[in-house]
Amino acid sequence: MRAVCWHGKHDVRVDEVADPQIVSKGDVIVKVALTCICGSDLHLYNGYVPTMKKGDIMGHEFVGEIVEAGSGVTRFHVGDRVIVPFPISCGVCWYCKRELWSLCDNSNPNSWMLEHLYGDTGGGIFGYSHMYGGFSGGQAEYVRVPFADVGLEKIPDGVPYEQVVLLTDVCPTGYQAADNCNINPGDTVAVWGCGPVGLMAMMSARHLGAERVIGIDRFPERLRMAHSQCRAEVLNYEEVDVAEALQNMTGGRGPDSCIDAVGLEAVGTGIEGVYDSVKQALRLETDRASALRQLTKACRKGGTLSIVGVYSGFIDKFPMGAIFAKGLTLHAGQAHVHKYLPHLLKLVADQQLNPSSIITHRLPLEQAPGAYKTFLNKQDDCIKIVLNPQESTGTARPGSEEAGAA
Amino acid sequence: MESSETEHSQSREWRREKRVNVGPTERKASVIGGAALAMSGLRCISKQNYASGLAMMLAGGMFLYRGQTGHCGIYDAMGVDTVHTRNSALTIEKAVTIGLPPQEVYEFWRNLENLPRFMRHLESVQVTGVRTSHWKAVGPGGISAEWDAEMMEDTPGQQISWHSVGEADVPNKGSVEFKEAPGHRGTEVKVTIDYYPPGGGAGRAAAKLAQGINAQQLEEDLKRLKQILELGEETTARRTVE
Repeated sequence: MRAVCWHGKHDVRVDEVADPQIVSKGDVIVKVALTCICGSDLHLYNGYVPTMKKGDIMGHEFVGEIVEAGSGVTRFHVGDRVIVPFPISCGVCWYCKRELWSLCDNSNPNSWMLEHLYGDTGGGIFGYSHMYGGFSGGQAEYVRVPFADVGLEKIPDGVPYEQVVLLTDVCPTGYQAADNCNINPGDTVAVWGCGPVGLMAMMSARHLGAERVIGIDRFPERLRMAHSQCRAEVLNYEEVDVAEALQNMTGGRGPDSCIDAVGLEAVGTGIEGVYDSVKQALRLETDRASALRQLTKACRKGGTLSIVGVYSGFIDKFPMGAIFAKGLTLHAGQAHVHKYLPHLLKLVADQQLNPSSIITHRLPLEQAPGAYKTFLNKQDDCIKIVLNPQESTGTARPGSEEAGAA
Repeated sequence: MESSETEHSQSREWRREKRVNVGPTERKASVIGGAALAMSGLRCISKQNYASGLAMMLAGGMFLYRGQTGHCGIYDAMGVDTVHTRNSALTIEKAVTIGLPPQEVYEFWRNLENLPRFMRHLESVQVTGVRTSHWKAVGPGGISAEWDAEMMEDTPGQQISWHSVGEADVPNKGSVEFKEAPGHRGTEVKVTIDYYPPGGGAGRAAAKLAQGINAQQLEEDLKRLKQILELGEETTARRTVE
């Protein structure tokens, strides 16, 4: 099959690799209909994430059809169209039982790699380096999906793939960010970063009853989308003092909740390379570390900071004094996708939520190398790219089908 | 800690002939290091780098001889003897919580032949009697070690402990405790393993290195045990059946 493989910094290629097989009885093989490039894939692309190996298959946002199922799979059958959450969860451990799916104890065979840095670690993730388990990703024609009965969600008939492909990651991630804000009627929610996750967080905050949402970014096309898709008021942080502007917009109180959908571009591990990676990231992404400081300063007393942007290592000049003096609550972490999927799927089916409205680019898988460049450099007003592995740029492959066909 | 009686008997058992003054672990390390050094020497020579190549081959040869015979001329001259030196244990301790009752976790461990299923470095454990077993381990670089072990404590659902007996390559003892975790979290499994590396500077350095590897290895092993007991199998990221 063809798959997007990592070969090094700024070097991804579409290679011919062996088809995946059922390895464990709880596995299924998914024929990928659509797969996205995620902002966090850019960390891999930029070479910041240690424990990537040449030939690793990328991608953790994918939907498709089950073409093979292990003997232990009971909830699904060949032919089912499914959503695959990006975190891999065993469904049995203490964390899974408490719906803390992304913190699964058993799904990351290499969990010791992160433990040295963090003291403990989350579960495995598709296509996201060996420290997150070394699982092959979804930017491919086929994927081996373990713990199928636990993770997958069936796509209702008549709902096209494109409408649900963002439910694999960015939509539940944004939803969790808003959910952690405990939004009350009349609340104002400010969101730093108007990329896919920030946009989803604003949509979700609206859905959860926020009176006002305010989007903060510096790219005009992203601010435009925040305004048009999420009915957000917008601030360009290159033009205004964000904390001051937010104070003035909220009668001097500050937003009730602040969401960080920016993060810091790097992932650390306990191995030797981590220190350099983190330093590298800090040198290149200093403006991003400042987002969290802005959140802290802007937030109203007793408010909530909800952090879904990826942080990996250590932050300097962290305003602990403000957090203490203003009595702020802090939420952070990877999305527990499984927890939100049924509800989000219903919202999409009832047309109360339209995640696919933020997709700007639809390309065949073959064009992945160029697509990564476009996304990295934010060219062509790019916000979200969807790749279709079944659509060939050259001759049509036998058995290929139209994307989105129910 | 245990009394040092076991150690005494073990160091008595290590005595072979007077000429042997390099301990068993160090002898193995010497063979492997010597072979590697000699190989590097060969590579140097093939790149026309004769002087350093020959020096490496000579040194490699010396280490090989030292490992094979257990006698080191340099140690002789320095008065170093790493066979008959008493030394303290290296201790590794790790814990994991497993979502099953203590009795079930105990029963899995009590069948010692299960240990190689989650302990990477163990090739096999054979039960040879009511309290005795024979262990085979494989270390880094394919180095192998064997020993007989005897069970000391066996309290169902609570504790198992064992220690190596006779001519163990690396004398060791271990103990595992099973304790009910609070709030229905299952069982807290705590493992303590003591190694008795041969003495001498080189021996200690090698043993320290081994400890670093082994502490992490034990942590990985316990995570595998948790997977096997909670899921029925080890989690794998493999994409194809090998």
